[in-house]
Parts: sequence; C-alpha cells; structure tokens
Amino acid sequence: MSSRVDASSDGENQRDEEESPEKSIWLNAHLDPMACLYTFSTSISLADLNADSDYKLLVADLGTGTFDMKLKVFKGTSLYMESAIIDLPIALVSFYMDTNDPRTPAIAVASGPFIYVYKNLRPYFKFTLPPLSVNAVEQDLWNQAKEDKIDVHVLIEMLESLKNEGSEGMLSVRSLKLLSLQPEEVESFANVHKHTTLKRQTVITCMGTMKKSVADDDAVSCLVIGTESKDVYVLDPEAFTVLAKMSLPSVPVFISVNGLFDVEFRIVVACRDGKVYTLKRGSKMAKACIELAAQAVGLERTGKSIIVGCMDNTLQCYSTKGKKLWTVYLPSNILTMSLMDHKARGFKAVMVALSNGEVRIYKEKYLVNTIKMSDAVTALKFGRFGREDSALILITKGGGLFVKILKRTATFEGKDLTPGPPPAQSIKLNVPKKTKLFVDQTLRERDSASGMHRTFQHDLYLLRLMSARSYVSALQKSLNPISSSATEPLKLSAQVQGIGPAFKLTVNLQNISSSVPSSKLLITFQFDDSLYALSKPCIFVPLLVPGLMYAYETLVECISDKGISDVIKVFVLHQGNSIPVITAVINMPVSEALVIV
Amino acid sequence: MAAGTGTMQMDPLFLAMSFYRRRKLEECAEVCTQLLKKNPYDQASWCLKTRALTEQVYVDEVDVDEEGIAEMLMDDNAVAQLPRPGTSLKKPGTSIGHGAPTPGVRPMSQAGRPVSGFVRPGTQSGRPGTMEQAIRTPRTAQTARPVTSASGRHVRLGTASMLSQPDGPFINIAKLNLSKYAQRQNLAKVLFEYIFHHENDVRNALELAAKATEECQFKDWWWKVQLAKSYYRLGMYRDAEKQLKSALRDQDMVDIYLYLCKVYRRLDQPLTAVDIYKKALEKFPGETTLLTGIARIHEELNDMTKAVQLYKEVLHFDNTHVEAIACIATHHFYTDQPEIALRFYRRLLQMGVYNAELFTNLGLCCFFAQQYDMTLNCFERALSLASDENMSDVWYNIGHIAVGIGDIQLAYQCFRLALASNNDHAEAYNNVGVLEMRKGHTEQARAFLQAAAGLAPHMYEPHYNHGLLSLKIGDLQSSHNSISKSLEGYPDHSDSRNVLTQLKEDFAAL
Repeated sequence: MSSRVDASSDGENQRDEEESPEKSIWLNAHLDPMACLYTFSTSISLADLNADSDYKLLVADLGTGTFDMKLKVFKGTSLYMESAIIDLPIALVSFYMDTNDPRTPAIAVASGPFIYVYKNLRPYFKFTLPPLSVNAVEQDLWNQAKEDKIDVHVLIEMLESLKNEGSEGMLSVRSLKLLSLQPEEVESFANVHKHTTLKRQTVITCMGTMKKSVADDDAVSCLVIGTESKDVYVLDPEAFTVLAKMSLPSVPVFISVNGLFDVEFRIVVACRDGKVYTLKRGSKMAKACIELAAQAVGLERTGKSIIVGCMDNTLQCYSTKGKKLWTVYLPSNILTMSLMDHKARGFKAVMVALSNGEVRIYKEKYLVNTIKMSDAVTALKFGRFGREDSALILITKGGGLFVKILKRTATFEGKDLTPGPPPAQSIKLNVPKKTKLFVDQTLRERDSASGMHRTFQHDLYLLRLMSARSYVSALQKSLNPISSSATEPLKLSAQVQGIGPAFKLTVNLQNISSSVPSSKLLITFQFDDSLYALSKPCIFVPLLVPGLMYAYETLVECISDKGISDVIKVFVLHQGNSIPVITAVINMPVSEALVIV
Repeated sequence: MAAGTGTMQMDPLFLAMSFYRRRKLEECAEVCTQLLKKNPYDQASWCLKTRALTEQVYVDEVDVDEEGIAEMLMDDNAVAQLPRPGTSLKKPGTSIGHGAPTPGVRPMSQAGRPVSGFVRPGTQSGRPGTMEQAIRTPRTAQTARPVTSASGRHVRLGTASMLSQPDGPFINIAKLNLSKYAQRQNLAKVLFEYIFHHENDVRNALELAAKATEECQFKDWWWKVQLAKSYYRLGMYRDAEKQLKSALRDQDMVDIYLYLCKVYRRLDQPLTAVDIYKKALEKFPGETTLLTGIARIHEELNDMTKAVQLYKEVLHFDNTHVEAIACIATHHFYTDQPEIALRFYRRLLQMGVYNAELFTNLGLCCFFAQQYDMTLNCFERALSLASDENMSDVWYNIGHIAVGIGDIQLAYQCFRLALASNNDHAEAYNNVGVLEMRKGHTEQARAFLQAAAGLAPHMYEPHYNHGLLSLKIGDLQSSHNSISKSLEGYPDHSDSRNVLTQLKEDFAAL
C-alpha cells in the first residue's frame, strides 16, 4: 500500500513541474496576506445580499479563538460591514426565507445552541434549539444543593459517579463545567449557579440548507442542523418551527443535503464514530451506509457519489448505496474540502486543501489542477463573487485572504494518472564496480580458504579470551557506568556544565530494572584535592524507583590557576560495602583562565 | 669530559647556537642565561635566548585554528544568516546532492558533516546549535572547546611556559619601551615572536608590530603578516584581510596565501578561500599545502568526490602526505571499496605511522575485504597500542566485528568495555541498547538508548531504535516523538519514514 502512495505522489509531482506559472488557469484577483481571518470552509459563503447581482463574501470569523468573533462582509476587495458575534460561530449559510421582492437572502450563523438570522445585514431573529430533558438524578442533586442539604463536595462526588455510569453526554453543561474546575474554584461556581433552574442545552455541530418545495435558485430554503445530541433538525424558514427531527447513532460533523423537503430529500451525514449515515424523507432513524477506515475531515456530494476526505490522507468516493468506487492517496493531510460547481460549463469537481499548501482539484478521481499556495489553506469557496462568475476564495492558516478568478479559456483535462512502474525503478543505483584488487583477493581467499579460516578461528579464540579477561577485570573493578548485577541494576551518567573555575557536576542515576527498587546507596567522588574542591563530597541516595532518572548535583571548584585538568571519578556505593557498585570517570574540562587580550 | 678538565672550552655562544640548531632549546636557553648573567647587555645571547624560548612553544599559526564557543555562537562576521546552498561551512547539509555520503553509510559529526579521515583542529567537535549544547557537550581535557579562541590553546601554551619558569618571566613586557625596540629591526622581529607566541600578549605584540611597520615605511611584508596575525587573534578579520592583501602586493608567499584563506574561512566564505587557493596555485604550482586547503574546504562542504580528487592530486606531488592518504582511504572504505582502502592504510603503515587508530582501520578493512586471517591480528595490536583515549573506540570496532560474525555475547562484552573506558561513548550505548532489545530486556534497552540520545543528540540511530522499541511495546506517542527526532537528524532515512507512515496509519485508523 505504501508503494502506491509514493507512486501516485511522484506522478503528480511531475505534473506540477510541468505547469509553469504562466500556464496557470487562475488569475490572481486579490491577495491580502494580512487579512487576519480565522475561519473554515463551513463558515464562509457568497451571496447576493442586496439583490443587485453584486455578490458579497460572508465570513464568520472566529477572531482570536476566544473572543472578538465577528461576521464580516466583503464587497469586492474591501470590508463592507462587520458585526460582533457573541460566541464562536460554527457554520454560516445564506438562504432565502420568504418570497418577497427584492429577492434578498438572509444569513444564518450557527453558534452554540443558537442560530442568529440576519436580514439586510441587521439582526433579525434568534432561534434557540429546543431544550432537552434533564437527568432526574442530576436535577435532584442540584435541588438539594440549592437547599443546602448537601455539601458542594458531595455534589461533585455524586455527579462524578453519575458521569462514570456512562451518562456523560446526558449531563448539563453546568455540571460538566463544575466537574472540570479546579478545587479552589468549585465553591464559588456552585454558589453562583445553584439558584438558577437547571437546563440541558445541546449545541449545533453543522448546518446546511434545503429547498422547501421548488428547486429554483432563489427558492425558499429550510435550514438543516445537526446537533451534539445526535439529532438532525429541519427548520421552517418563516416561522422557525421544527419541521422534522431525526436522530442519529452518533454526533454529526459534516452534513450534505439535497432534494426538496416537500417532495423527497436525502441528507448525508458524516459522524464522529467514523461512519456516514443517510437520512431520507419520512425516516426517523438514520441508515448507516459507509464505514470509513479513518475519521472524516470533509464530505461532499456530486451527483450520485459521496466523496469523503479522511484523516489517513485519502480521498474516497462512494455511491449513494455505500459502495466504494475509488480511492485517491494524497501526499499530505487534508485540511478542508469544498465543491467546485461551475454551472456555466456544467463542471463539477472537488477541491481539496492539503497541509503542504496545495489545493488540488479532482474531477472524479482525476487530478485536473493544482494550486500551490504559500501557506496551508483552511477555507475554500468557489462561486460567484462580485460580478465574476467563477471566483475561488481561499483563506489560509495565517489569516490571509486570496481571491482567484478562473480564466475563461481554462480547460480541465482529466487523465488517468494511475502510473505504470514508479520512476524510481528505472534509476540506476550507484553500486561501485568490483575492482581488480578485489578479484585478486577473492582468488587468494579461494586458494587458501582453510588456512585463513583456521587462523581466524585461532585469533578469535584468543580475542574472546582477551575480551573476557578485560570484561571480568572491568567488572571486578566496577569500572562500568552500568552495573550488571541482578541486585543493583543501575545506570550512571555524569555531566559537567560550566566554564570554570566553578563547574556543576550532575550525576544522573537510574534504576534500569523493571521492578526491583534499590536503596541504601551513596555517591562519592575521587579527585585530586590540590586541583578541585567539591561542595558535596558524599551524597546520600534515597530509594530509587525503577525507571526514573534521578539527578544529583554538586559544585566543583577548580582551585588551581595552572590551566591543568584532571579526572574526577564518581562511585556509587552500597552502604557498608567498600567496593563500588558502579563507577564513572569524568574528564574535567580545562578551567578557563581570565582572558587577557 | 673535556669540559671537566677546563683546558679546552668551546665558545659558549657558539655552543648555544649549536644547541639551538640541534633543537636542544632548553640547554640553549640555559647557556644564554649564563652569558647574560655575565653581560646583561649582550644582544646576541639575548636574541638567541628569546628565540630559543619562542621555539619551545612555537606552533605553526596557519594550521592551528580552534573556534571557541563564543566565536561560534555569537558570530557577527557571517555575511548571510541564511546562506545559499553550498556556500557556507555552517550549513554543510545544504550541499548534499553531489556525491555526499549519507549518514546511513558514513557516520556524521555533530555539525552534520561526515567524519573525516584525519583529525585536525575543528573536525572533532562540530558546531553546536545552542549555548547549552555547546557547554554541555564533552568539554574534556582531550576534546575541550575553549570559550573563546583568545583563550583555549593559546592560554594553555602560555601557561605551560609559565610552569617551566618558576623564577618569573625572562622579559618583562610591561616595562619595555616598544618604540625603542621597533627602531631596531634585528631585535624587533625576535621580540615580536616572543611576545606573540611565548607571552601570548597579543595587544603588546600588535603595538610593536604597528610601530615597526611604520619604522620601515610600510614596506616590509613580514610586519604586515604579523599585524594580520595579531588582528586575527583579536577577531578583527577584515583588518587582517587588508594587511595580508597588502603583504601579498609586496611579496608572493605560500604562507600569506594560506593565512588569507584562513581569514576567509573564519568569515565563512569558503568559495572565496578556494579562489584564493587557486590563484596561489597558479604562482606555486603543485604546492601541497594549497591543494590540501582546497580539499579540506570541499570536504567540509560535504563534496567528497571533489575532495578526494584533490587529495589524489596532492599525492601526485607528495606521495607521503599522511592526511591525503588517510582521507582517500576513509572515502574508499565508506564507498564500499575496503580493499582499496586497505592498500592506502598499508601505505601509511609502510611510512612508519604506527598507532592504534591505523591498526583498527586496517583490521576493519581486512574484515570487510574478506581477508579474515589478518583481521584479528590487527585488532590485537591496536589494543596493545591503544591509550586511554582511544581504547573505547578500538573495543567499539571489535564489537562491530563480533556483530558481523554473529557472536552476540562477544559483541556485548566489547561494547560494555568501550563504555568502561569512555563513559560518554554514545554509539556504544546505542549498540548495547540494541543488543538488550534483542534479548527482550525492554527497560534496559530503553535506558541505554535514552542515554545515547542524550549524549549525542545529532545521531539518528538511538532515536530510531527507541522509536522502534516504543512501537513494539505499543507506546505510539513516544515512538512518534523519537522517529520525528530521528528524521530531524537524517531526513532521508527510509526506515524511519516507513515507521512514520505506519504510525500515521495507526493514528488515523479507527
């Protein structure tokens, strides 16, 4: 499998080199690397806000990620309007909510449990998700806390056990927050909040639109929202009542809708359990249709196929029935995906932004174009912007806003890039030729093979003997920095830091056994006392827990000004035994004298 | 002897000169001292004593160059912070592509430069990345990197001369009237060398040189070179460059060219240095020091093919050039031609080089060229010749032979012995770790590999092995961390890449 990855990426790299900048099919319309936008593909949209055929770019900006969230509207290249959003925006869509003229669309921004609807760029309506039932035990606990029948700590304990029973997702936000607080903050939090009534609210995770009864471009649309409580709601655009509620086995993260609500529709949802589900009109429960190998990072639909980008760097295509059609291996992680629907040409493709800064456009499984960006792209949108039909909005990780326009002469040629043998196969390896000398030597080897072997074996026995002797003597003298005895499995390493005359000697001691702790050890040093003075000549070592590294430090002062250095020996001893367990020899650096220039 | 009878005595000054010529410098100085006791104003014996004392500590300035920690980390002479590939000695990895060996085949130094076949100043310890690394990496008596090049070896030489003279210095520089001496050219040159080399007092040396060059109307090239030497010591490289160029206008000398190239190397302009070397070669064709200089620069820029070509040219002119032979041999060894390397090392042996390093190399070459009967013999000799410093390396290499013949027990003993003689031998730690891993002692293996990684952060092997170990026991997070570090050290290591792809698959899988 890995070889296929390499092969495909190599083939595509070659293609990238072929495309020189002047041959690019994109024109740079606007480049603003300092736009400071922090947003994702689900939170940008293009809409004809004033019904004057001048399409605006709508961006729900996450601000700093904690505050300063804004809805920004760009007209052409300039910021047209911005308005603050209270919480982090999750998704932004534009949709037509009525049949009035002029045909101005409304903007819906999902944030927390709310949907803020803007009309004519003014706040118009705030929809709140219906509250969920509160766990009876939890309610009871908070009631008791309110009446001061139970202590805060008891409350926390009970909530904890409730959470551990597996109903974590069933707890209210207040309880979860309480459980995550530091012990010193708990009391005040509980006191402030225990008097208000307990509510359980879910949050929105994804949002889409669906035409209600007519399939026109400017027909009235319903909002389709997925929530953390594993539900999908379809909302009525005028009254904002729930038209349909469907449940899923897991939390939806990506949603794709097509069809008409009143006639027939199909909602495809990628969920957090790594499965893709389909929902049809009239069904209350979802049908699992695809089991992915890795988590989904993007979901798009073109015609009858579902294209899913996965965390394992693959782009996979499935039929609506859930049959796998093809897989493309990508060279880098997918950051975001978006559909490219060029209506004038009837061209539909999927754009994939990768972490290496590339944006690849796939028509079916064929790569038709690659855009190289200086930074990784986090948000993509293709559509009508201003008066230009085919504009591509790219927002990068660093906050830059880039607008590109597709050349009118552009053609997309998709060809099958499944390569033959990888190009590396035909590269000759630089294997040095065997020299004449080598051949001569092999001849010698062939002639006197047995003699050579005998000498070698003889020498080998001698060497074994010699090394065994040295090894034994090293063991007896405990010269090793690692002890090999089963009772005291220790490892010692020492470091000297400093320039001099004062040095810091750090002795790292580690018990390398898996279970035997060592105790009653001490560290001592041997050094020339006319050269060095140690602040701690003997260090008592407490119990050594296996596997952990213990550092002991002592200061060494060089008391000679002659510019000479010596070795310091570090011994680790067992109390009551004069033979060291292990020894390390430290070559001390020369103490730097005063620099006279 | 004759002197004992008192009838016949040689003229003491002549005797002193004879001692000087025979490099019996201490005796020479002693005789001169006696003479000066009789007549303190005897210029000839003063001069001779000064020269004798200078000769004792004289080191050829052209070759000795040790960059101190301060020079390396607070370098404000570099022209470009992000040099273009292949134009800087500081980022040797940038020129990989033309015949540069990979760290998988040839071990790398800390600076990412292949280990050289010949130890010379600046090859043993590379350029550390951070101050902490610079101070922490083994600054021992043998391989210490001085804090600045103004201290270090020069101070050590100076102090060594101080130790030998317990009754105070011969010339008290502070009391000298330098302008008086500057007028007397015959004394000034000797005095300069004494101040510069023996007393290591660069500032006074510079003052004397400045006055002397003024005295001779800026016409003596010798003084200009001495000025440049002093400027170089003080870190004023551009002034040194100016003086040397001026000296070259007066007199073409190999030494001046070499010194100029040294300045350019310090300024991190290796290509300019190569140009200067080539210009000098036009004037002095076949000069081996110049050829060696170019070869060294190519070697430091990781361009082994060109370096070896030049070393071969050096051998064409001087077939006993030890550095060239050693470097070519190392190159052949690491490019899978140990039989040719063996030839070169044998040549070194014939020339009278007789040390543990050479026998170790011979042993390795014999082993890999399949001349088994001679292999272990060489190692035995290496062991008997080895000093405390290189004993660990000899054992380490024997360990490799043991791994090669599959004797794991012997290999283990050898690596442990390597560690016993050098506690900071990172490679041996790594190999002991691998052997422990094979035995299934996970905890021990982990401890050894971590120790290796801590001692030599530039090596990729311990990181890779640790990654593999962690992967085996299912600790994917540490495995990922280690493998990433391994790839930092050696970005093209395919095994690490394979492990990384596997890890990524594991992370992405549900």
